[in-house]
Amino acid sequence: MSAASSALNSSQLGSVLDAASLLVTCGPGGVGKTTCAAALGIAAAGAGRRVVVVTVDPARRLADALGIDVDAKMFEPHEVVGVGSNGGALWALMLDAETTFDRLIIERSGDQAKADKILANPVYRSIAGSLAGAQDYMAIERLHQLHSSGDYDLVIIDTPPSRDAIDLLEAPDRLVRFLGHPIYRALTLPSRSFAKVTNAGTNAFLWIVRRLAGPRLVEDTIDFFRSLSGMEQGLRVRAAEAAELLRADATSFVLVSSPRAEAISESTHLAEAILDGGFQLDGVVINLVHPMPPSLDGWPELADLPEGPLAEHVAYHRDLLALATSEREEMSGLINVVSDVEVTEVPLLEVDVHDIEGLTRLAALLIG
Amino acid sequence: MQPTWVTDATVMVVAGKGGVGSTTVCAAIALLAARSGADVLLISVDGREGVGALLGGPPLDSTDRVLRTVGKGRVRGRTIPPQQAFSDYLELKGISGVLRKAASAASLDSIAAATPGLEHLLVLGKIKELERVHAADLILVDAPPAGHAAAFLHSAAALQKVVANGPVRVQADEVAAMISDRSRCQGLLVTLPEETPVNETIELAYDVEETLGLSLGPLVVNGCWPERPGMDRSITAAAKAQGVKLSAGAKAALEASADFGRVRMQGQQRQLARLDELLPLPRLVLPRLPTAHIGQPELELLADALSAPVAVRQ
Repeated sequence: MSAASSALNSSQLGSVLDAASLLVTCGPGGVGKTTCAAALGIAAAGAGRRVVVVTVDPARRLADALGIDVDAKMFEPHEVVGVGSNGGALWALMLDAETTFDRLIIERSGDQAKADKILANPVYRSIAGSLAGAQDYMAIERLHQLHSSGDYDLVIIDTPPSRDAIDLLEAPDRLVRFLGHPIYRALTLPSRSFAKVTNAGTNAFLWIVRRLAGPRLVEDTIDFFRSLSGMEQGLRVRAAEAAELLRADATSFVLVSSPRAEAISESTHLAEAILDGGFQLDGVVINLVHPMPPSLDGWPELADLPEGPLAEHVAYHRDLLALATSEREEMSGLINVVSDVEVTEVPLLEVDVHDIEGLTRLAALLIG
Repeated sequence: MQPTWVTDATVMVVAGKGGVGSTTVCAAIALLAARSGADVLLISVDGREGVGALLGGPPLDSTDRVLRTVGKGRVRGRTIPPQQAFSDYLELKGISGVLRKAASAASLDSIAAATPGLEHLLVLGKIKELERVHAADLILVDAPPAGHAAAFLHSAAALQKVVANGPVRVQADEVAAMISDRSRCQGLLVTLPEETPVNETIELAYDVEETLGLSLGPLVVNGCWPERPGMDRSITAAAKAQGVKLSAGAKAALEASADFGRVRMQGQQRQLARLDELLPLPRLVLPRLPTAHIGQPELELLADALSAPVAVRQ
């Protein structure tokens, strides 16, 4: 680690940014998770690390700030200009489950004609983006690719919002299970022996699909699974590697929440799932916390005011005080669950963060 | 008094980006309709069981249970697990014997993996069936959060493209017909007066209305700080106007809050102005309540606010 990056060490999040080679941000929707992931990237780049931030579905203005053109489907890392010092730099890219799946197929099939055949299959086209947990799995797959490329010191991946996060953590295992499913195995047999297969489960499966969705879909489905055969082992190995990577020493999870009761309760479940699953939870960020104004009790001149402009000011102050107090009560639930993990509170800023300047300010708040 | 938009269609799909409070709004609408005597069925697509407690009842599960009675009206609630929708569907279609057995042998997971959108379609199909038998005066659907809401609503149209015939195609056609029939189904979008939720709501509104023909009810803007025009005055001027002599501490405390509030309020007004310009839907504004936890008393307040006349805009 370069001497410059030791500046980050003052907080737990700072040391994580200093030491981790993979950082996974997770949390419920609407808490500013992607924004925090980008700000963490800026903090690490500012301390001399070469960082790539992978976002799933960035809001348009945030994407603009990071130089990502959402419409151009910019799926390759793209350097964010004007960020980073002491040799550090930041790259950003958008994750697209379908493209990542395509890339995996091309890489694993080993021959272009075979890859093209799979990629053109209508069943593949429609399941690539929606296969149970595909998006979660692809997030991990992409993380694996970037991590093993050796081009970056730190890969930060912003996961799809999830209520349980279990989806993400279980994604590699689920793909392995899917590939090991008897139906999958029977479907990948060559066509001659396929006709002879009397596996009841498979026949039932095809019978159902045929009755429900018509014979054409069945043909495409069989064709798709058959074209995957031979790649299965490679995919399983890869899924197993990804699962291992998520539990590696240099992989850190950072949970991002907001103080709303619903977000806190989802984050609490998430934190428990991360800890129970043997993953390293190295930081909790509670974002968008209202500032706590002082109580007005000590000032009798403000009590029982008749209607008027000052009374409106006082009413707003009291609303803010009530809200800030209630937020802190909600937050304590999560803080207790994650006992040893440092919890960073980030105040709701006057202006929402949408540009590099805002991200830099947020970065400073995150690493204290 | 129940506003007319509540009963414009039997099925109302409530949708919004994660964190905007669409589940809370859905519960408030249920309460509002029940107050006017309606029999309401609230369906949580995502299986958010907590909405049961919010209405004063047991946690939601897959059985249809009463959560709350208000005079002659009531709110029932349930979830629709795709697996259950699947077997209900097979039963409804008179599919029995070998195929039923076969269906349970081949788990829905595997079938769904090969037929994308099928799970959503099965759930929508079940909702369509509930609508057909008039299971309630109002069927309120708490859709999965944005991104997913679009996938949910688009599932029928997407399957129409992949599946040429068979029962799935029939089901997709029937669901698509319900979604585009304004007397049967309407969408209600929920947002916050913040940039990202506003952008995503505008996108979702045009998407579902233009591509699916879903008719949209009023736009609900949740979490709006009440207007306090007196706050345009400085603390000093406000104190002077009311003849109050402020101590330095009180003045500093109020000024800090006022500075914060003023900038947030400007942001809110900017976003409402953008909605004025970009999304021509009638609008309902719900107040930002001074708490992080919406419970039963807060839900009553939100239902009150929803019964206000809708601001109709061109």
